Amino acid sequence: MLGTTWLAKLRGGLAACGLLAVAACGGAGGDDGPVTVSVWAWYPEFKGVVEAFNASHPDIKVEWTNAGTGADHYAKLKTAITAGKGAPDVAMIEFQQIPTFVILDALADMGEHGANEDKDLYAEWAWQQATDGEKVYAIPVDGGPMALMYRKDLFDQHGIPVPTTWAEYAEAAVKIKAADPAAHIASFGSDGGWLNGLMWQSGCRPYGYSHTTAKDQVKINLTAPECERVVDLVGDLVDKGLMAKDPFFTADATAALDSGKYWTWAAAGWTPGYLAGSLKNTAGKWAVAPMPQWTAGADEQGDWGGSTFTVTKQARNPKAATTVARELFGRSKAAWEIGLDKAFLYPLVKDVAADPAFTGKAYDFFNGQKVNEIFVPVSEKLGDFQFTPFQDFVYGELNDRSAEALSGSRPWGTVLEETQKNVVAYAEQQGFKVSK
Amino acid sequence: MKVKTRLPHLLMGAGILYFVVPLLWVVIAATKSQPDLLDSPALWFAEFNLFDNIGQLFREDDGVYGQWLVNTALYSGLSAVGATALAAAAGYGLARFRFPGRRLFETALLGMIMVPATALVLPTYLILSEVELVDTMWAVVLPSLLSPFGAYLIRVYVDESVPVELIDAARIDRAGELRIFWQIVVPMMRPAIVTVFLFTLVATWNNYFLPLVMLSDADLYPLTVGLTTWFNTAQQEAGTRMLFNLVVTGALLAIVPLIVAFVLLQRFWRSGAAAGALK
Amino acid sequence: MTRSLPITAPEADDPPAAPAESRARRRSRRVTARPVAGMLFVLPFFLVVVAFLVVPLGYAFWLSLSSKSLALGTRFSGVDNYVRAFTDPVLLDGLLRVVLFGLVQIPVMLGIALAGALALDAVTTRFALAFRLIAFMPYAVPAVVGALMWGFLYSRTFGPFADLPTLVGGEPIDFFSVSLLLVSLGNIVTWAWTGYNMIILYSALQGVPRELHEAAVVDGATPVQVALRVKVPAIKQAISLAAIFTVIGTMQFFTEPQIMARFAPQISAGYTPNLYAYNQAFAYSDFHYSAALSFALGFLVFVVAYAFVIVNNRRRVARS
Repeated sequence: MLGTTWLAKLRGGLAACGLLAVAACGGAGGDDGPVTVSVWAWYPEFKGVVEAFNASHPDIKVEWTNAGTGADHYAKLKTAITAGKGAPDVAMIEFQQIPTFVILDALADMGEHGANEDKDLYAEWAWQQATDGEKVYAIPVDGGPMALMYRKDLFDQHGIPVPTTWAEYAEAAVKIKAADPAAHIASFGSDGGWLNGLMWQSGCRPYGYSHTTAKDQVKINLTAPECERVVDLVGDLVDKGLMAKDPFFTADATAALDSGKYWTWAAAGWTPGYLAGSLKNTAGKWAVAPMPQWTAGADEQGDWGGSTFTVTKQARNPKAATTVARELFGRSKAAWEIGLDKAFLYPLVKDVAADPAFTGKAYDFFNGQKVNEIFVPVSEKLGDFQFTPFQDFVYGELNDRSAEALSGSRPWGTVLEETQKNVVAYAEQQGFKVSK
Repeated sequence: MKVKTRLPHLLMGAGILYFVVPLLWVVIAATKSQPDLLDSPALWFAEFNLFDNIGQLFREDDGVYGQWLVNTALYSGLSAVGATALAAAAGYGLARFRFPGRRLFETALLGMIMVPATALVLPTYLILSEVELVDTMWAVVLPSLLSPFGAYLIRVYVDESVPVELIDAARIDRAGELRIFWQIVVPMMRPAIVTVFLFTLVATWNNYFLPLVMLSDADLYPLTVGLTTWFNTAQQEAGTRMLFNLVVTGALLAIVPLIVAFVLLQRFWRSGAAAGALK
Repeated sequence: MTRSLPITAPEADDPPAAPAESRARRRSRRVTARPVAGMLFVLPFFLVVVAFLVVPLGYAFWLSLSSKSLALGTRFSGVDNYVRAFTDPVLLDGLLRVVLFGLVQIPVMLGIALAGALALDAVTTRFALAFRLIAFMPYAVPAVVGALMWGFLYSRTFGPFADLPTLVGGEPIDFFSVSLLLVSLGNIVTWAWTGYNMIILYSALQGVPRELHEAAVVDGATPVQVALRVKVPAIKQAISLAAIFTVIGTMQFFTEPQIMARFAPQISAGYTPNLYAYNQAFAYSDFHYSAALSFALGFLVFVVAYAFVIVNNRRRVARS
């Protein structure tokens, strides 16, 4: 917070007025009507979820704002936090951003309002990331357990076995190039979350941070062999021209997926929905297989993406806000109906994920395959994974160093080394004690 | 004569091609449906879908695009009128009066032009949030009233084209200062006023950074922020909301009003711009 | 590029050789000593300047004098942030990139603008009128929309250009690749601002006395010679002003790379100094360092612009 003397005075004066106003009003949201709780979120089809909540909670009225997607949303949230006002009561935040907002002192502890009761409702890994000891900073909503999407028709047609290990994956890449010189096994998407998911799946745990136990200590170890082997693999494929360079989610990448240019995508639980709407030509030709393993027969898994609801410290009524964060999705059947069928979220509520209605759902896009039978065990298998309180910086570094490698100006072998060096320097500059 | 004009015409032909092809692409792309946009040749028409796109554009998200259009017109209209009025009065005051600090202020004016806009947005946000103006239209309009260059342009224009004798004569007739300004000076500096008005209008119409930071309610967005929001949505939620055709159609409709304004008013602003360039 | 106002900065309102003394006398004759009325005319503008320029700048400067680290909180740190800025490799890389960009893009753009202005000045056909209107249109396109539009045009899926080489058997062009990115960005800026600068230069050309080039024609000069030896020197002042303002705009390069990053993630957080300042504030929550970066950048812009003005004036004096 930026407390200048004169600004602080001005703020004090305004706060006093605010108190007076509240007193004059007889307490905002008292007995007279429903408490209003503002929510910033960018879920698709979210309007219906809000309506369902408001219909089932006569004492609370959710006012929803879509303040932007991703970076725009976070920029606004951080500005409002810095200014000390203007933030919503409840904000959607992705998992990797939670420690960042915790250290900005932006998030209220929902544990004070009974949120610890929800512990067993959610996938264990998600609850771990959302909480710090007894402190509940976030309520999980959706996740992104990873699996390998591949063009079943093309793999079958050319007799290429579906890779079960990363070594087989690299072999498949060569065969694909031989079958169609214009094709690639996949694209290096320049996406920090994706690379992070692959490293997670490789058993790499590069970060460690707990605000409660040691708020000025952070662990950074991006150069562990489990991390390095991921970058070595994809870097090698890129250098050999077997892996393309299109950033994910651009029209070019989407078009390439839809025209046989990429034969696989190590994607996440939310991809079926993401793709079903945009890949018209190749619908029905895709299938999902478990992620290739680093050791044959192992069962290591990773996650890419996912989000939560948090209550900000600016919340006017933290108790009501906690209720909103817990129950917008949470146990709400109506919300999950929209979340699963229209927004294509992967549910982190265990019961919803285990429900036969979800696991048994056959997807036309995957030629009738019940793909959630693959995603659900992945999510159950996921273990502890932590993020740094400056994950934007880490992803930015990863992205910038990979970009240099993509353009040939840096050997892939030095990407993580250099990232490690820069991230440690940044962390120390920010006053952290860094361990490996 | 023929030989003499061949080179200029060649240059201009190449120029027209360069400047018009991208705009042509927007026009053509706006007539395509979402699948055609991805599949058909970029610079030729596919099935004509413009009116469907426009219909969908104004229906998406409960017709928020129409709101963005209105907001943009409102913010830029208010800002342009206000900024022009302030600049006109100040420019005249600086050119035709003497008072303590005038010289200093004039010199400072030049420095103000060079302040990067991005450096101001953040502290302005923090200050406006103290007075509860963030996430209201005033957060966009009030900072846009600042136009040091407008004041500077008017000062120079008045200096050159409003004879001091005329003002003195009016004073001898006991006309009030405001009346002199309004009835004599303003009509004489009309080209400069139109120029400042148009350029401040464009500056606010095209502004992205300020409203991006100041506004969080989508109903308050101007077109620039709204369209990028949609573009981000289209990229990140492609499956559920493939909005590229709407982004393109929305962009076309956002450009048209300004181009029309410039073409219609070009007689005025060109003489104003010329005045600036020549003096 | 963000530029709030036109670059029609007027040239000095008196001949270069005019002695300072006579200029002062003429000025004082032109103004009226009615201080209160004069101040009242300037007051509303002055208030806006104070509220939305002086106060924010002062506040930003105040912010830049303290540091906030994530782990340690806020503390007064004097010039530390500035020391950090001028030794920060990311900022220095960004500065270098912008300077390189400017060294190529500005001459190219102003060259085209000048050629276009000379062409307009030479002929007055309907074609010329159409050219003038069309060349100016990109100025009315918001920078955001322009950047999105070019993003589409550059992409292999939407655009017509990327696949052109495949017609003759070549590889498709990747406009977003690191090696082409600056060129791609330069093209967006050139497209948007050439017409605008052209109009400015054309306006200046129209003010060049006709007798000057008529005399040259009588001496047997070709049209091209007239353009280069008579017209261009006559509008040197307008050209250098256009250059100054373009330099200022280039140093603040922001919108195009920010938008283009959605197509090209290799546009790094510190791709341009202004983008770096933005990201420090809005992605890394370091408003203090961001303020220092903005100030350092503003200072550099100021120095560069004034150096440009001074060099320019020297030349003028030397000439006269």
